[in-house]
Amino acid sequence: MAWPTIDRQSPVTDSDAPPLLSDEVKAKIRSFFERYETRRAALLPALHVVQESLGYISWRAMDEVATVLDIPASEVFDVVTFYTHYWTKPRGKKTIVVCRSITCELMGAGVLLEAFKRHLGVGEGETTPDGAYSLATEECLAQCDHAPCVLINEKKHGRVKPDDVPALLADPDNDKLEVPRSDLYDPVLGEDATTRPRGGERKG
Amino acid sequence: MPKIEIDGIEVECRDGITVLQAALEAGWSVPHYCYHPGLSVVASCRLCLMEMQMPSPKGGGMEWSSKLVPSCQVPVKNGLVVRFASDQVKRNQRRVMEFLLLNHPLDCPVCDQAGECLLQDYSYEFGDPTSRMRDEKHKSPKKDIGPRTLLYSDRCVLCTRCVRFTREITGTHDLCVTHRGSENEIDVFPGKALDNPLQGNVVDLCPVGALLDKDFLFKQRVWFLKRTKSICPGCSTGCAVSVDSNEGVVYRLKPRYNPGVNDWWMCDEGRFGWKYMHDANRITAPVIRRGGVTGTPPWDSVPEIVDARLRAVIEAHGPDKVAVVLSPMMACEEAWLLVRFLRSVASEATLVLGPVPIQGQLQMFPVGSTGDAVRFTIRREKCPNRRGVETIIAETGGPTLSFEVFCEQATAGAFAAAWIVGGYPEPWVTKDFAKAVGQLEFVVAQDLFPNEVTEVATLVLPACGFAQREGSFMNFGGRIQPFDRAIAPPDGAKGDGQYLYELAGFTGLYSGRAVREMMAQEIHLFSMVKEAPPMPVHQH
Ligand code: SF4
Ligand code: FES
Ligand code: FES
Repeated sequence: MAWPTIDRQSPVTDSDAPPLLSDEVKAKIRSFFERYETRRAALLPALHVVQESLGYISWRAMDEVATVLDIPASEVFDVVTFYTHYWTKPRGKKTIVVCRSITCELMGAGVLLEAFKRHLGVGEGETTPDGAYSLATEECLAQCDHAPCVLINEKKHGRVKPDDVPALLADPDNDKLEVPRSDLYDPVLGEDATTRPRGGERKG
Repeated sequence: MPKIEIDGIEVECRDGITVLQAALEAGWSVPHYCYHPGLSVVASCRLCLMEMQMPSPKGGGMEWSSKLVPSCQVPVKNGLVVRFASDQVKRNQRRVMEFLLLNHPLDCPVCDQAGECLLQDYSYEFGDPTSRMRDEKHKSPKKDIGPRTLLYSDRCVLCTRCVRFTREITGTHDLCVTHRGSENEIDVFPGKALDNPLQGNVVDLCPVGALLDKDFLFKQRVWFLKRTKSICPGCSTGCAVSVDSNEGVVYRLKPRYNPGVNDWWMCDEGRFGWKYMHDANRITAPVIRRGGVTGTPPWDSVPEIVDARLRAVIEAHGPDKVAVVLSPMMACEEAWLLVRFLRSVASEATLVLGPVPIQGQLQMFPVGSTGDAVRFTIRREKCPNRRGVETIIAETGGPTLSFEVFCEQATAGAFAAAWIVGGYPEPWVTKDFAKAVGQLEFVVAQDLFPNEVTEVATLVLPACGFAQREGSFMNFGGRIQPFDRAIAPPDGAKGDGQYLYELAGFTGLYSGRAVREMMAQEIHLFSMVKEAPPMPVHQH
């Protein structure tokens, strides 16, 4: 069996392309510096800001974050891929996350995931052709008492049954938060607190 | 010195080490992957776990703790009682080995590491013979992570030694651990390849066949290799190395532990700097030029030729018209023998130290470190023995000149004969020097490769590469380090030490040690040879 070798020597980013991170995003990242003893410590919030702005964290974005924080790009790569909350591929306007941990699994999350796949026509980690939805799974969403549970962007839905899926997908407000987001989370400057556009809608 | 008890046996150990190190030094065989004495302790592989006595929670004395603890993380302390010889410990070793092998391809027959692989060794010694894995294996990819190194991530045990090396020793942070859980992989950021001057050490550090050296890949099975103690001639640091060879061919260099010089490491420049020894262009037989005719004299006629020609020159021009250009590539013994011989014929022969190659910048690691934080240094002086040869010149006394002044004076006709030693892997003869040599009546050139000097010399003698010679080098700090001969000189050639030994009037086989003993009678310094200590434990 041929076993291809992944080329890691060639750059995957185009060095001539204009910078990906806007000045606004960079300023936001720099504003975290004073909170921590080291710049490295600002990596997680910085990545959130980048993901908010771009929808996902590309190779180039990782490299640029590394430059802003003055840390090696390899360490950004390391952290981004460790956390399932960071996306390394473009994703749809809304991301559906189905819990795959034990309580939800026992309460039917497996069947539910299959229902989402069927209705969306995509698999795990994939995005619908119209760019509306991406589908993902995640370890325990800390909503075991409402198992099986699902997140659509940041809005949680508990006790979701496979039959509920069509209605849920049809509801335009399925990601509308009832309570404002905590400002501890550092939304990108000037953002509406209750709905959060993502993905396809890039800023700046 | 703290005393601890391991498996009921009292062991006295060095201060400040961990129980694992103490056990290994005392002869216990304890499996370990993530622990390496040159790197920080992470205690992540869980192979080295032991049982330890702790104060009983019920009060009144000590009892065995119910949980196993990593021996690589527990510092020795007087009175500590631990055990490895217990069912619980052995069971843990078996299970951890089983986990590590769950997704391993078991492709030893095509793996370069086979024969020096800690997965093989530990499976044999501590593992179970069978796997209970029924699911399909998770197959991680093979990655081309740098110009010299390949990563077979499917063989990786995630010990992170390699990652810690690029963080703690080189400070270049090339490697990282990506993803999570069973999908963990070692990687570089695409386009920021593993390409630092010390990167070859990650291949040595890798306990399994995950990180492999492209240069050595599929060249040789390691069990065919003969290991010889040597000293790297690449720069004046003088790292202790092993030359791995088979049937007269060098296949690779590996660093040898020497806490006074290089610890466990060596640089890539030295690691791959031996190829010239197998270059087809090398001079492999003596050459003599007589009145426009070139011939190959038999080796046993060489002393006679040299002696007769030198005497003729001295008779015609006087004993001060002879010079010897010694090379900082020579071993101390070789330089001493040559000086001894020439001064015996021409008592006023001038001693000259040949050019000292200086290249690039002093490189200290981790990059940007200074003072005590420096863990490794690559020096600018790209030769192993300037200090040794200088010492011999100084201690011998009599007329000496610097190389530059010698060139000037020789060009002006101050000399009639010279013995010129090269032995540099790189071209080294400058125009000025070639011109100076052109003025001489009788020239003996001892060198590796043909150049402007060997083209005109009356007698050309082949020089050998460091692995084909034995003797000692004095490093930048004055440390005299012996090195052994790994392979024979090329067919037709003779070791430099051997023919210089014969010229100096000795019979039999040249031995670096024997010559050093003679030298030490004259120059006391040479009695202070510093060998690298043996590796404290079986470790690679
Ligand atoms: S590549 Fe080798 S050294 Fe690096 S983590 Fe894997 S097993 Fe350890
Ligand atoms: S298991 Fe699904 S929320 Fe905890
Ligand atoms: S060697 Fe102790 S945990 Fe790895």
